Amino acid sequence: MIFSTLEHILTHISFSVVSIGITIQLITLLVDEIIGLYDSLEKGMITTFVCLTGLLVTRWIYSGHFPLSDLYESLIFLSWSFFIIHRIFYFKKHKNHLSAITAPSAIFTQGFATSGFLTKMHQSGILVPALQAQWLMMHVSMMVLGYAALLCGSLLSTARLVITFRKIIRIFYKRNHLLNVNESFSFGEIQYLNEKNNGLLNTSFPYFLSATNYYGYQLIQQLDQWSYRIISLGFIFLTIGILSGAVWANEAWGSYWNWDPKETWAFITWTIFGIYLHTRTNPNWEGVNSAIVASMGFLIIWICYFGVNLLGIGLHSYGSFN
Amino acid sequence: METLNSSLHRTHFLSAPLLHYSTFNPQVYTLFKKPSLSFSISCKLKTSQDVKKKNENVSKKIVLSDTQPPPLKNEEALGKVERTRGVFGLVKRLPRRVLAVFSNLPLAIGEMFAIAGLMAIGTVIEQGETPEFYFDKYPEDNPVLGFFTWRWVLTLGFDHMFSSPIFLGLLVLMGLSLMSCTYTTQIPLVKVARRWKFLQSAEAIRKQEFSDSLPRASIQDLGVILMGAGYEVFLKGPFLYAFKGLVGRFAPIGVHIAMLLIMAGGTLSATGSFRGSVTVPQGLNFVMGDVLGPMGFLSTPTDSFNTEVHVNKFYMDYYDSGEVKQFHTDLSLFDLGGKEVMRKTISVNDPLRYGGITMYQTDWSFSALQILKDDEGPFNLAMAPLKVNGDKKLYGTFLPVGDVNSSNVKGMYVLLALIP
Repeated sequence: MIFSTLEHILTHISFSVVSIGITIQLITLLVDEIIGLYDSLEKGMITTFVCLTGLLVTRWIYSGHFPLSDLYESLIFLSWSFFIIHRIFYFKKHKNHLSAITAPSAIFTQGFATSGFLTKMHQSGILVPALQAQWLMMHVSMMVLGYAALLCGSLLSTARLVITFRKIIRIFYKRNHLLNVNESFSFGEIQYLNEKNNGLLNTSFPYFLSATNYYGYQLIQQLDQWSYRIISLGFIFLTIGILSGAVWANEAWGSYWNWDPKETWAFITWTIFGIYLHTRTNPNWEGVNSAIVASMGFLIIWICYFGVNLLGIGLHSYGSFN
Repeated sequence: METLNSSLHRTHFLSAPLLHYSTFNPQVYTLFKKPSLSFSISCKLKTSQDVKKKNENVSKKIVLSDTQPPPLKNEEALGKVERTRGVFGLVKRLPRRVLAVFSNLPLAIGEMFAIAGLMAIGTVIEQGETPEFYFDKYPEDNPVLGFFTWRWVLTLGFDHMFSSPIFLGLLVLMGLSLMSCTYTTQIPLVKVARRWKFLQSAEAIRKQEFSDSLPRASIQDLGVILMGAGYEVFLKGPFLYAFKGLVGRFAPIGVHIAMLLIMAGGTLSATGSFRGSVTVPQGLNFVMGDVLGPMGFLSTPTDSFNTEVHVNKFYMDYYDSGEVKQFHTDLSLFDLGGKEVMRKTISVNDPLRYGGITMYQTDWSFSALQILKDDEGPFNLAMAPLKVNGDKKLYGTFLPVGDVNSSNVKGMYVLLALIP
């Protein structure tokens, strides 16, 4: 009983912190920038991360198996991975532009997982015979970590596309008196850009040598670079996940690859991000084209992770809604 | 992989991270397009027109020093272009042209997109159904998306997408691209990347993708800073060359070779393996060779096909809540002489392996109902599956009461429903 109450408490704490975090972010972006709240958001993220780790460990001990056997648990694991990526970014770069991507992703995933949609799955269930293998830990955790990293990377690429095509949506920005709704910069940069004003932003990016566009160009470079790095990392995880899944399938079902919908979509995701890595090798296509490919990858990951589960068919049907 | 060259020139200082973003991307494939120009390019490098084609020039410069394919070199040296004409020239040139076609990167990317698209279609269209199913689902008088009828599905082989000629053909094409790319681009790239390339003039450096000038910097200090940042630094007089991340050049080769191995393995098992399934009641036997059927034209049976498998027992473990925890089957294997060669209890995730054959549990059902009445019996009544819907199964049998041979046999029906 202790464990289930503990789990309950941790779930509630993480959900409330997450809701407060979303509110703070929305206030920061849409209404006003309150520098003091930014730090509290960071602290909120740390708290939620600790709570989530506690939640996963509690479920592990209580149910006796690694906490990744159905959709709810994998969602918790996904949001935990987002929190980890967020912390890694924080340690690598002290000016945390990229937290604008990772923090909302983590918050939304956590919110969805603990929301009312999946309440009936909250009890730790028993493990069906097919999942009782050591491979469960390696395969599913690698896949979910891979998805988290690839999602972050594709969101960064999407952000890069948004900035590049900023001219088109400049009108929207002007109306809100803010320059970039989708990204929260460090505050020094926002003030700099505010001073330089909208007129100078008409110049397009190949002529980046003018000092006013320097920060914009540097931001694009950073987004590009970080997107490339994190997608590479996610790609490695995804590859290991697919390969370990194939070996496990051989142990359990008799063949390495069954063209199951989930397997096929994971392979499609792998192919799309392979295309992304290949477009990066060519300097003519590096940039906008690779960002477009990565943005397609975002949709494909969601189809692979969620869409296939909605169908509820095939050998991977543990994660379905019914 | 990143490389840096520095010169001791002019004015302003920009923040160091900008320099780290330089990437070095030689494109060896351009060599094959204009082989006859390979020598004259080295003279053209320093003109102002080259500013637009910076990257091409860098790559050609590097490639010249290292990876001239031998036949072309001979032709250049002899200066006789006429040798490439005629049948003899064509035969010599053909492998190289074929390689050039296949190692084209846009082709590879197009192939990957096509494969991904076909796989997506394969998940949307139901696979392996009877033609009538497709007649119903994609009727001609009401086509999906306005044009997609069952004719598309059946002629293109979309009902068995993953073994259809179009899909397999694309995979073969992909394999050829992989092989030619690894041979022509990746392996030379490693050789090139490992060479130190000191750029000897300020102009050449300024033509790089990212270049900068630090007027009062000391080259030794720069070397030390770079080493601190993880670069391998080489100093020669006033010139410095540094690189980082050479291992990233080996990784694509490894991945491509791994994919080729997987494709080879898949092809081998598609053409040379055996598969089969059998439903055996507890207590009965079967011979492996009777059950296994060949999958392709290279399948040849082995001696272990003669073993007889005896199902000793099949049982399940349950959780407290009543759901199944694990399925177990106790199997004994006997060779031709009747001697028991192996005995194992298999469960899910723990199959039996013997002589290259692996045995798994795939499904289970009821075969008979045993009834004991007042010390009479046991009477075995065969159960027939009435309705099987995935995990939900319904079985029935008939227990006759009274005279079995009369025309109107009375009895009771026994129904067994399994709903997990």
